[in-house]
Amino acid sequence: MSMSRFKVKALSWSPYIEPVDIAAASEEQLAAMQVTPSNTKVSAYVRTLAHDPESYVARTKLFNAIMYAKGGLDRAERELGALVASAVNRCVYCASVHARRYVELSGREDVVEEIYVRGLEGPFDARTQAIVDFCKALSETPSQATREQVQALRDHGMSKAEIVDLIHSAAIFGWANRLMHTLGHSVPVEAK
Amino acid sequence: MMGMSDLDQIDILSGLKEGSELYAIRRERPEFVEGTELCRETVLSPNHGFGLSHALRAALASRMARFIGREDLAAVYDLMLDDAGSDPDLAAIASGAETAAADAFTSAVIRHADLVTKTPRDNSRADIERLEKAGLTNPQIIALSELIAFVNYEARVLVGLSLLEEVE
Repeated sequence: MSMSRFKVKALSWSPYIEPVDIAAASEEQLAAMQVTPSNTKVSAYVRTLAHDPESYVARTKLFNAIMYAKGGLDRAERELGALVASAVNRCVYCASVHARRYVELSGREDVVEEIYVRGLEGPFDARTQAIVDFCKALSETPSQATREQVQALRDHGMSKAEIVDLIHSAAIFGWANRLMHTLGHSVPVEAK
Repeated sequence: MMGMSDLDQIDILSGLKEGSELYAIRRERPEFVEGTELCRETVLSPNHGFGLSHALRAALASRMARFIGREDLAAVYDLMLDDAGSDPDLAAIASGAETAAADAFTSAVIRHADLVTKTPRDNSRADIERLEKAGLTNPQIIALSELIAFVNYEARVLVGLSLLEEVE
């Protein structure tokens, strides 16, 4: 008999403003959205942000580097940083996406269940706790993040280069959440 | 050969010295270093500003940095505001003053920057509708949102790196 495992539902996202209409998009917007004759399916999220193609292109490149660059902090722990920021900012859509990625990469349904059911206070295992505590403070009120929290990451074996990656993954979700959660809302996948 | 300092704004405000361990670690991630500076340009001094002037953007960035508790970051944006051409209204926005705008458009912009910086979790559709009512176009709403989000990102990177520089 297997234990029932905690699952986070996949969600879709719907904007509060009218996204860019591909048929009416400018050259710059089409390039930003990477629309080509063989690729005309672009998500509502991308079409919404393509109203300002300049910032969209630059941020997407930075985002991908922070979340996917080789080496450094384990991909799973970058996803945990993203999840903690999204939980603080109550970005339901981002939390769902990154909780699922975190579980795929780490197998830690237990951590995700704890966050979803009881919140960010824990208790978690010591290394997870250190990551959650630091990312929570940084996301909520940066001035409340402490040297001791960073020291705890070091004490649990995280190198300074890895901590730089963690800082960026939490910080870039301070950015992403402020787009996704303020410009639209999550919807069940079926309703898309 | 040593030329001008290669320190960027993030290094300086995080207290990193050229050649320090953390300075070197940052350079192992050039995509983060250069990507952040490129993003700064696209939100503070974009080619297409959609009618949101560079001066207004700098004033808002300064205001948000103050609310986040980084006076040093605010001071950098105050300088940017001076370069772009400040006036008493823009200076009031930057200062964090409660009632800083004369017109409905600008006060809606300020209100949104304040809310999304301080309590993004409480934002809803009604907040976007207020922007629309005040006359913001869709490109302006997106450009404003990206600016707000960038400053919040930058402040968090600074805080994190400053703390990391203090530990062994």
